[in-house]
Amino acid sequence: MEKISDALLYERVRGKDKDALEELYDRYEKMLFSYLCKMTGDRDLAEEALQEVFVKVWRGVGSYDESKGKFVAWLVTMSRNAAVDLIRKQKKPSVPLDEIAEVESTDSSVEETAEWQEKSEQIHQAVRHLSEEQQKMVHLFYFKGYTHETIAEKCGIPLGTVKSRIRLALKKLKTSLQMVQEGGVLDDKREL
Amino acid sequence: MTNVNCDQLIDYLNGTLNEEEQKQFEAHLAECPECRDIVDATGELPYLADPVVPNAGMKARILDAVFDEEAQQTPLAEEPKKRDRPAPPAPMAKRGFRTSKWTPLVAAALLVSLLGNAYAFYELSDQPDAPAAPEVAFETVDLQASEAFEGTGTAALVHEEGALNLLVQANQLEPTSGDQVYQVWLLKDGQPIPTGAFTPSQENEGAVFFSLDENTEGWDTIAVTLEPNRGNETPQGEVVLSAAIDPEA
Repeated sequence: MEKISDALLYERVRGKDKDALEELYDRYEKMLFSYLCKMTGDRDLAEEALQEVFVKVWRGVGSYDESKGKFVAWLVTMSRNAAVDLIRKQKKPSVPLDEIAEVESTDSSVEETAEWQEKSEQIHQAVRHLSEEQQKMVHLFYFKGYTHETIAEKCGIPLGTVKSRIRLALKKLKTSLQMVQEGGVLDDKREL
Repeated sequence: MTNVNCDQLIDYLNGTLNEEEQKQFEAHLAECPECRDIVDATGELPYLADPVVPNAGMKARILDAVFDEEAQQTPLAEEPKKRDRPAPPAPMAKRGFRTSKWTPLVAAALLVSLLGNAYAFYELSDQPDAPAAPEVAFETVDLQASEAFEGTGTAALVHEEGALNLLVQANQLEPTSGDQVYQVWLLKDGQPIPTGAFTPSQENEGAVFFSLDENTEGWDTIAVTLEPNRGNETPQGEVVLSAAIDPEA
């Protein structure tokens, strides 16, 4: 049976199909939760952010269609912004990052699926093509939960410059990711 | 190609455009493959993180909250959950007496005897002037299947005279092999205790009844794992079914 596309599932969600929402949840639970844990350093905060994302998906806040790019990218943007808001409200994460890492390393049920491993290798490889400065921008914007204003403030760079640097970094990332993927590592049919 | 709209990409990703700007940028996105490609690339960024196993019972809590939100129509701003315990369970969405899912005869009989009594007391204690009824509380929950698991399950918890009785019943289970068993766990603040194990019948159904005389309060999650063998004190296998339960019940 062919896997139904995210966009089609989202259409069904808009028609209040609970099974479709559950399917989308299952597809992205681990990916988004892992991301949110890294970003917030707090499992509870990550869960809260993930809940907000799916509440918004279900309620049709900021609706998605394919003209906005891939569904997963749209979800990632929402997840990032939900976490940024929660981090801001909390001031700081209650659990330090290294503690999360510790929880993980003792968890024997962690199994990196082949797909995760493949995706992970690709993005890590793509990131290595970025300059140190560009890697820093991506890290601060996507994994530290800093807004571009905060980055400008912390790095003492004008806001406009920060924006263009993040954009350049992401553009380079896109290009190198395509290169890595076209290098034959990616099986197109499995692309999310 | 860079124009004024392309410059708004980072504001768009940062969620800081106003409604009008957002609409304009989305229209731009539909027309600008370069911006769209950059947005698409951000969808791969989560794979820079190490994979983290979701919190026990998380799916059930989140989906309950998502579908509950709709029923209540509360504004998003009022939504943050209480954060006074590590894994706050969502409000019990499904509470009540339902026999339809409890197909095996033994399970059904147990449930009727347990919940029948409990239900009567529950009804009774609902009356404003009811005499002091015995302390009985019960709840039933649908267990949520983990990703890639086809089975379904239901759990009933009955507090009666200082004991906690737990009945778990599951259907459409994948057959076990070798020493594998389905193990039921109760969790409190992320700490599990084993509460019975079972192997599926030929009809791929299974049920387990467990009674706790001590430490009956405060359990917030129930989970079923597929263990490589019987008798583990902490879970070694993957969680296949789980649900949040009400620690106050």
